[in-house]
Amino acid sequence: MSEEKIGVYICHCGTNIAKVVDVEDVAEWAGNQPNVEVSREYKFMCSSLGQDLIEEDIKEKGLTRIVVSSCSPHMHEKTFRTACERGGLNPFMFEMANIREHDSWTTDDETAATQKAKALTNAAIERVVHHEALEQLPVEINPNTLVVGGGIAGITAALELADGGRHVYLVEREPSIGGHMAQLDKTFPTLDCSACILTPKMVDAGQHPNITLLTWSEVEKVDGFIGNFTVSIRKKARYVNEEHCTGCGICIEKCPFNVVDDIFEAGMGDRKVIYRPFPQAVPKYPVIDKENCVYFQKGKCKACEKFCPTEPNSIEFDQQDEILTVDVGNIILATGFQLFDSTKIPQYGYGRLPNVFTGIEFERMVNASGPTDGKIVLRDKKTAPKSVAIIHCVGSRDENYHKYCSKICCMYSLKFAHLVHERIPDAEVYNCYIDMRTPGKGYEEFYNRLLEEGTHFIRGKVAEVTNAARKPEEKGKLIVQVEDTLIGRQRRVPVDMVILSPAMEAQPDSKEISQLFKMGCDFDGFFTERHPKLDPVATMTDGILIAGACQGPKDVPDSVAQGAAAAARVAGLINLGTVMMEPVRASINQEDCSGCRICNNMCPYNAIVFHADRKVSEVITALCQGCGTCVAACPSGIISGAHFTNDQLFSQIEGILWDVRPEKELVSA
Amino acid sequence: MATKPTFSQEISNLLYASHGKPLKTCIQCGTCSGSCPVVDFMDQTPRRLIGMINADLKEDVLDCNTYWFCASCYQCTVRCPAQIDIADVMYAVKRYSIWHKTYRDDLVGPTFSETFVKTIVRSGRSYEPLLAPTYMFSMGIKEVLQEAHMATQMMLKGRMPVLPTKIKRLDNFKNMIRRIIPMGGAK
Repeated sequence: MSEEKIGVYICHCGTNIAKVVDVEDVAEWAGNQPNVEVSREYKFMCSSLGQDLIEEDIKEKGLTRIVVSSCSPHMHEKTFRTACERGGLNPFMFEMANIREHDSWTTDDETAATQKAKALTNAAIERVVHHEALEQLPVEINPNTLVVGGGIAGITAALELADGGRHVYLVEREPSIGGHMAQLDKTFPTLDCSACILTPKMVDAGQHPNITLLTWSEVEKVDGFIGNFTVSIRKKARYVNEEHCTGCGICIEKCPFNVVDDIFEAGMGDRKVIYRPFPQAVPKYPVIDKENCVYFQKGKCKACEKFCPTEPNSIEFDQQDEILTVDVGNIILATGFQLFDSTKIPQYGYGRLPNVFTGIEFERMVNASGPTDGKIVLRDKKTAPKSVAIIHCVGSRDENYHKYCSKICCMYSLKFAHLVHERIPDAEVYNCYIDMRTPGKGYEEFYNRLLEEGTHFIRGKVAEVTNAARKPEEKGKLIVQVEDTLIGRQRRVPVDMVILSPAMEAQPDSKEISQLFKMGCDFDGFFTERHPKLDPVATMTDGILIAGACQGPKDVPDSVAQGAAAAARVAGLINLGTVMMEPVRASINQEDCSGCRICNNMCPYNAIVFHADRKVSEVITALCQGCGTCVAACPSGIISGAHFTNDQLFSQIEGILWDVRPEKELVSA
Repeated sequence: MATKPTFSQEISNLLYASHGKPLKTCIQCGTCSGSCPVVDFMDQTPRRLIGMINADLKEDVLDCNTYWFCASCYQCTVRCPAQIDIADVMYAVKRYSIWHKTYRDDLVGPTFSETFVKTIVRSGRSYEPLLAPTYMFSMGIKEVLQEAHMATQMMLKGRMPVLPTKIKRLDNFKNMIRRIIPMGGAK
């Protein structure tokens, strides 16, 4: 028996733990375990009085190890380590047993829960005996930051950091920054012109000396860890030299070929093959769409090159993709969202009935710089509708598609209704909703305004949109069939135009993005935040932050707030200059190493070097991230991970099995 | 410990084999009533029926004709955003009503359903000449004659059997029915 003096503290966590676990019993039982000097239970161990208990016991009773059985180490490991430190103990002489998330919250069975609490506490008691004193390692923070995604969240984050004097690499997949907000006409509830409030920020981001703008680029590879990331970015060939191009647009004018713009105009309008997504695009340089370019496909044309007025010529057909490597300290992901594909719900007729539009199509239609110059017209591009139905919750709040509420659709549907009233004053507008969800500053007032404007609100999820008329007045119209649940009767509303309000969903490649950046994404594809309430911009991976709609459906103000919050977090870290890292590191016993070099190539951080002269491998502590790969790989078993040594882990396992393990004598007998 | 189950619990119990989600997860969106092709003949829409079941309004639920008019097209079940099997709910209420004999004597639905099931269980096939009289007497003379005329025409064209036919291996079928009808199958 060693001569350690262990203090064990069992937390009630109010009633969170004490409701199911008999904490008095666990504390009394723990007091009888070997090496345990003092065992207490307390209502809230994390309170300052609870921490004082630990501190005083260390000083008065000379405790050398501390065990706290309470919540998850994610919550309070740091709190209790600091308490140990204040008492004069090395913070790593502490072990936490999770008897809340792993025990009391999972069951109502009091006997079983108490038994498990004893097992978990005992595991910690037996483990903590083997703990060693460790020192935290400082890691320097590279002051540069990578922002992925040039929508409003990414632009805000980049500008906040750049204005604070820090360098930012802003990477955007499309030819221009601006994101979805650039496609919109008006923003709810104040009806500001979207472009008027967005383009100044885009210009700022484009011209800022502290921002390196990398549009038409994608992140390929991410290495490293907080403070020291190395990122490879593929800069796709634009076929336009950005140094020589003046952005005069003559090439776009002269290009003889039009294609349908599926991205920016949502299929509502055309663009040239050499194009700029929209007039205010940042940067101003055009891009050649290689797949549709006649020169690339057939070898003839080159009209853009012929008419380019710059000297030397800006068009470079032989341009190749470039791979850039940048070093950054932190990464902010603001990769945004896409809209639900409305063709997945066949009864709404999108793609089959011509006058059924999606929200983004309507958004482009009402935009003054859009394909119809802001006129609301049917697919024939000339008839103005006399009646319009707007269908909420397309693909959201539906177990068959997305279970979540997409949050912004009620508000943008109201905005659509207002825009129809504004542009076609005598049109009838029907909003078919399940529940009107307008939480937000000025949002409910906007709903009231629409009620006053005379929009017809029908509470009911639309069952189907059809062109099969049953009555003469339905001939040639789209019929929206819906139960008006407030009347309790099925209604068939004949209209000229139907607008679907599709849900926001995660980007189609969000799972790959989360793997690329080594952080989590949920079942719906949205990135997982560190804590849903208290840490919505951080992720489980240090140094990787998230902002905007990639975290969940969000409107413009929320995206901007998150972008700025993520930037503030990064700015704080950069200001500190260093971050303290867990001293969980691998080390190789130099005397026993056989020099087999198996671990060398296993290490994902390239932290192991081989000394050819001595024929041994060695871990560079500054680079090691403590992942444990080499520890498991070493055939001689002589690599050990600090704070996760074999002694510690095996005694923890032994400890948790205290009630089923055979007595030591039995084993030897 | 044992308390009498509420009406909504009784109906939920009848849905134990249904693939749908629990009735209490209904969000009252009205997709079912909006999709229903026969809703105009119902005195309560399917959505309201579910609301009334959840509110334990037993008398009102059993009094209405909604579930008897259900055409079992399953459109509501397919579209329901809460994935409730609404057509199955209709069957559950029908069964409840038949077992407890809560329906009015002049209602055609229960007799029709029962005769239909009996013919199926007896021979493995539906036999219209037996089924039709169960509801025909609720119609006027003119309609009855019309129906009879149509039936004759169909028989002449071979679209309707003159004599009841049986399926092969009827015993196996009857054994299956005994398993799947919780009350013990054909009597």
